[in-house]
Amino acid sequence: MLQQVVNGLTLGSSYALIALGYTMVYGVLRLINFAHGEIYMAGAFIGLMASQVAGLPFAVAMLTAMAGAAVVGVIVERIAYRPLRKAPRLAVLISAIGMSIFLRNLALALMGPQTRAFPIPFEVKQLHVGKLRISSFDVLILLTSVGLMIGLHFLVQKTKIGKAMRAVAEDKETASLMGISVNRIIAFTFAIGSALAAAAGVLIGMNFNAVDPSMGMMPGLKGFTAAVLGGVGSIPGAMLGGLLLGMAEVMGVALLRSEWRDAIAFGILALVLLVKPSGILGRNLQEKV
Amino acid sequence: MLSLKNVVTCYGTIKALKGISMEIAEGEIVALIGANGAGKTTTLKTISGLLTPTEGEIIFDGVDITRRQPEDIVKMGISHVPEGRRVFSRMTVMENLELGAYSRQGRGSGRKQIQEDLDKVFSLFPKLKERQKQPAGTLSGGEQQMLAMGRALMSRPKMLLLDEPSMGLAPMIVKDVFRIIQEINRAGTTVLLVEQNAHLALNTASRAYVLETGKVVLQGGSQELLKNDQVRQAYLGE
Repeated sequence: MLQQVVNGLTLGSSYALIALGYTMVYGVLRLINFAHGEIYMAGAFIGLMASQVAGLPFAVAMLTAMAGAAVVGVIVERIAYRPLRKAPRLAVLISAIGMSIFLRNLALALMGPQTRAFPIPFEVKQLHVGKLRISSFDVLILLTSVGLMIGLHFLVQKTKIGKAMRAVAEDKETASLMGISVNRIIAFTFAIGSALAAAAGVLIGMNFNAVDPSMGMMPGLKGFTAAVLGGVGSIPGAMLGGLLLGMAEVMGVALLRSEWRDAIAFGILALVLLVKPSGILGRNLQEKV
Repeated sequence: MLSLKNVVTCYGTIKALKGISMEIAEGEIVALIGANGAGKTTTLKTISGLLTPTEGEIIFDGVDITRRQPEDIVKMGISHVPEGRRVFSRMTVMENLELGAYSRQGRGSGRKQIQEDLDKVFSLFPKLKERQKQPAGTLSGGEQQMLAMGRALMSRPKMLLLDEPSMGLAPMIVKDVFRIIQEINRAGTTVLLVEQNAHLALNTASRAYVLETGKVVLQGGSQELLKNDQVRQAYLGE
């Protein structure tokens, strides 16, 4: 049982990293960035290239992946979303889906359809604590995710740019009256969300030893589910939603069978949308006039 | 200090401002009065850059700001306190004030200068000091108005645009707010005031413009306008 908790936490923290990107972008643009899963995929590929082709050490490859994905995220925002800032929501949604398909096919054209193995940059050890087996992957995934989330929390709560992000999320027009360049903050939000997704992409790509152009689809949907579960727009919600979803999946698989994994995740999505669409930590939008 | 020349602003195809001209000199309090839909708020939004005029020009301190972005205009010294206060309700009072100082760069953006200005804002609005750690959404309407004004002052504006500062406030609080507006003006900030309550506006400002459906129909000194029959009938309810 405890073993499942460890597995659930590992899976959940990677969902949380993906969910954060959805929720942050939703926070500033009220838009679900359906190309987010593909940015996660792009991050995995950049990390793979950095460590395999360029031969960079793991930590550097990870940072390269995060920086590269941040650039991809900013470009996606610039060409697919910014021109539609005043367009109807449906147009932006279609643009997002189009971007997702485009990026997947771009990866297919550039990298080919085959699944690539991720070179393991270190010796994998198994840690035995009583009956518990913890691999160095679990430790790496947990530490990296927790570290990134603490960093994000600090960024959003304490720094000047973080305050500007929250101001833009609450009221763009008034934020601009404060001297905040709203477009710049939106681009920055995409960069941060994309970098987190890339970190997840590298970690998961390595953990499953598989990187391919369509790898972003399922984790993208899971990250979205986690964001909705926690309350889309809420950063702590995305962290909590990710962990809960990972936990539910692992427990469900342990109790039922592994084919049920995705059914459980999307069952939760449907249930949340029915019972509490604003999610666990989401707020009902009410403002005092 | 600020001049508008034949400014036309549209919402889609509807002309909200049909060629407005006005002049505001340094150190003045000037009021804009008029009925709902006359174009008062539109005028302020056009000055601060939230709306872009289709014709005409706006000159501030000798610089053409007609098509500048709002974030640049605040850096040049015009701070807009929007209608309905629009405080960042999920952020604390302190964070709201810090955001007010966001536009400051280079000299004057150091921790020390910002602290000095915070102290000034707190001495104008002692309530804000008590409530600095509270989310702004939990403040009363009057306190939110004070926060919105304090936040605007944190950018060290040369000119303050105030949109309906009395809206929804109890008479006692309104008196307070307007006393503070005069205090801010005496300390050297030029004020352009939009106010539904014409009595209050004319008793605070030295001059006023009367707007009607997107045009300036009357202008002059406040005392003069208070005696004007047209104004008395239409706006003072006499």
